[in-house]
Amino acid sequence: MSDTKGEDADEVPASDAAPPQQAVDPRLLEILVCPLTKQPLVYDRTRNELISRAAGLAYPIRGGIPIMLPDEARPLDA
Amino acid sequence: MSDQADIFDRGAVRRHRERAASTVGGVVPILEDVADRLLDRLADTTRRFSAALDLGGRGVIASRLRAAGIPTVAMDLSLGMAALSGAPSLVADEEMLPFGPDSFDLVVANLSLHWVNDLPGALIQLRRAMKPEGLLLASLPLLGTLDELRRAVTETETELRGGISPRISPFPDLRDCAGLLQRAGFTLPVADAEDIDLLYANPLALLRDLQAAGERNAIRERSLFVPPRALFPAALMSLPVTAEGRVIIRLRLGIMTGWAPPAA
Repeated sequence: MSDTKGEDADEVPASDAAPPQQAVDPRLLEILVCPLTKQPLVYDRTRNELISRAAGLAYPIRGGIPIMLPDEARPLDA
Repeated sequence: MSDQADIFDRGAVRRHRERAASTVGGVVPILEDVADRLLDRLADTTRRFSAALDLGGRGVIASRLRAAGIPTVAMDLSLGMAALSGAPSLVADEEMLPFGPDSFDLVVANLSLHWVNDLPGALIQLRRAMKPEGLLLASLPLLGTLDELRRAVTETETELRGGISPRISPFPDLRDCAGLLQRAGFTLPVADAEDIDLLYANPLALLRDLQAAGERNAIRERSLFVPPRALFPAALMSLPVTAEGRVIIRLRLGIMTGWAPPAA
């Protein structure tokens, strides 16, 4: 059973303001698309979200794990 | 995507899996047994795989594939279950896959497709995410699984309250499986079945194991009323036992293989 934090957990910089964000695996960025529109996503590093402009949704990433569920996504401001 | 025609309540499936993420360790021996039977099929092929998707493997599939040197992405409907598989992993719905074309040359779905409402649709989405000549390897419980329990609960509930409520999932028939793959566009579809008999000294442990694995009832039309207190104890007591006093519970395991068609 693997540690959920992964091997590179030590490299996450400590931050006073925000909880430490674990970077999303680059292999995921290569293959993921929006589940609703099947269109490409944009990775927003600062907010740690995957943006689907076509669907107007931002999918959150928790502990390095993208949550690709429209129910859990944040609607983008119109 | 909730549709009143759907058989399964996907929100419930997700909650059950989320809750089971901390208990699934108790059923790892059963999951590993099935995983080994399924991954045995990889030994039959000389193909080398370089990009695998583990669909709902509950921690036992991704680790095996990565140990075999196959880079693997793990997916689950619940965050807790996805995290069990280690990185890279993601949360997604089998009915709404978030993968671009040519993403995988191997897809392994171990006991994870039987709570999907639109199985043909999920298989088509999987095939589209696969590279040409990629392999799909899936196991799922077939009609015949938990039959003893289904019969016992139905008879007991009829006696207790003069009616029944669906409490055990309707599983697909082996005969339908190969056709399902073919209709989804897979070539050389093969489906066969193996019977695995689980022996329980205490039949209540069967229910505990099903819950621990996240396999609680998620049928949309399930009764939301608490069942009569005597239902499950009485039903479990009526299950047939071996000479040693053990209850035999059958898992009729279907194993399906199909290949994504070659590039046009």
